[in-house]
Amino acid sequence: MTIPVFLAALAFAWPLLGAAVVMSVSTPRSRDVAVWMAGIGCLLALAVFLFPATGAVATGWDDDPVQRAGRVMLACGLLLTVLESRDMADRFLRGLPHVSTALAGLACVAPDPVIGLGILEASLAYGVFVFSRPAGQARAGWALVRTGSVGIFLVLAGLLLPVGSPSAGLMMACGIVMLAGLTPFGQPWRAENDTFLFLPFAGAALLLAMRLRVHGGEAFDNALVAAGLASVWLTACAGRSDDGMRLFRTFPSALALIAVGAQADVAALLFLCGWCLAGGSRSGRSWAARALACFPPGAPFVGCLLLLSMMSDWSWIFTVLTVAGILCAVVRAVPAGGFGRDIWPDDVAGRMACSVLVLTGFLVPLAMMLGAF
Amino acid sequence: MTLAAILAPLLALCVVARGMGFLPALGVVTAIAILVDGLEPLQQVGAGLVLVFSIGPAWFLSYYQHDGVQERGGPAVPFLALGLMVVLLLASARSGSAAFPAGLCVVLAGLVAVTCRHAMVWQWAGLLTCINGIMLAGVVEKQIMVVGVTALAGCVIALLGGMCVHRVMPRIAVVRAPGRDGDKKKGKKHKSSQSETGSTGAPRPDYVPKPPLADAESEA
Repeated sequence: MTIPVFLAALAFAWPLLGAAVVMSVSTPRSRDVAVWMAGIGCLLALAVFLFPATGAVATGWDDDPVQRAGRVMLACGLLLTVLESRDMADRFLRGLPHVSTALAGLACVAPDPVIGLGILEASLAYGVFVFSRPAGQARAGWALVRTGSVGIFLVLAGLLLPVGSPSAGLMMACGIVMLAGLTPFGQPWRAENDTFLFLPFAGAALLLAMRLRVHGGEAFDNALVAAGLASVWLTACAGRSDDGMRLFRTFPSALALIAVGAQADVAALLFLCGWCLAGGSRSGRSWAARALACFPPGAPFVGCLLLLSMMSDWSWIFTVLTVAGILCAVVRAVPAGGFGRDIWPDDVAGRMACSVLVLTGFLVPLAMMLGAF
Repeated sequence: MTLAAILAPLLALCVVARGMGFLPALGVVTAIAILVDGLEPLQQVGAGLVLVFSIGPAWFLSYYQHDGVQERGGPAVPFLALGLMVVLLLASARSGSAAFPAGLCVVLAGLVAVTCRHAMVWQWAGLLTCINGIMLAGVVEKQIMVVGVTALAGCVIALLGGMCVHRVMPRIAVVRAPGRDGDKKKGKKHKSSQSETGSTGAPRPDYVPKPPLADAESEA
């Protein structure tokens, strides 16, 4: 066994090991242990990106550099989640971010997207089991199972239809939109569960969408762009109301779906970075709102530039609609008093997220120019 | 195309229209539709899983009372499912597929039941209908991975749905009425308890609901 293969295997197993360790230690020590395990997991994912296992494609495992970089983003999202969380007495809840990130990474790398969907279903089942354990949460858990399973069944049904047929593409796109939790079509997630389960789950759905493009054909791409545009324009129309803020939370995933549809995978990767580090319930903070609104510097801003440059070759009408939608959404969703002056956050988690967002925004185009993607 | 493959979407429409009651029949017909094509191990496993996922939840639900959620817009929902089935048939005919996509029609009916019905049990029946449909389509297409993933999804939905039903629905409990044959044998022991409760041999109903659990109270 060569070192890259060992590293790749260790990177997949590490978050599961982290979950076991975090669940076994006592509550006061669990946060420190979790931070260490998530940090090492980040380094392992980065090492797998830099030193890929040669011959993985021949054995059926996916070895696309965008997918590998996407798994680095998922690992960074886990580290940020762990840094933000407090001491939790519930062992299952403590281990949930690690388990869901591990399963999301495995779902992206599985040789067949169908297996990836099965792993996502297992991740959803574990998350719902953990969230619905307290009294009064049974129906909320059922709503999560229902919506996630509908998304998975739609994708499975699309995969059973002939390759490239419009019905297959449409069904798969609807399923991916539901799995990615794109408001208003997706999951009824709430603030307390979205960072633990939803961020890696939706990130894995975005990465899976890139691999499903071969089966879905043109209808799949068009449907993804249409769904993303609908979400962007709804965000623009809703403005600063509660609905608008709810829509704004999934703004980067809407743009990522447009990028997947426009075959701009690197732009989708940058939006995925924005989603993992600033999306979900973090959107209320000023630095996260600034990143989500595609303000420079940051990965979503660079992703916007890449997306628009790719889309202008693909379709002018969609480019104009996307530019107008993004501008309207940014102008209308920005908080009334502006973002505030605290560009550099006070807490460690915020500083780490800002650093990763800015570094990714600089390094990904550089790596693209050097031919890494 | 067999008669069972035609009957399966019709029974799925019945699930959309009437709920969990038609799920065992759908399961039996789907299993027959799977087994008619051949008796290979994949088909036997698929048929067995379909039967388990269809009959098991219906049997489990027989121990619980109905939740009695009022449905809105009920009559139009099966026609929506029927319309989607027709669209799917037209699309598959246009793409040159000669086979009748019975499994995918069942999936569409299940998806309509999940999204348009509000009662939890009805949604559960819709999801299990989807499992039946995907299992049928996966076995017909001989896609082992799809069958495996569907089996996993079926286990997840059956278990989590069963847990949710157990927590939100009142259970039917069998309570032996005092003053019947079994109680007469115990004689003196029961006299004191009867005098305490004040029921001097008067028959009580056999089925009395337990008070709902914490979930039912908080989420009502």
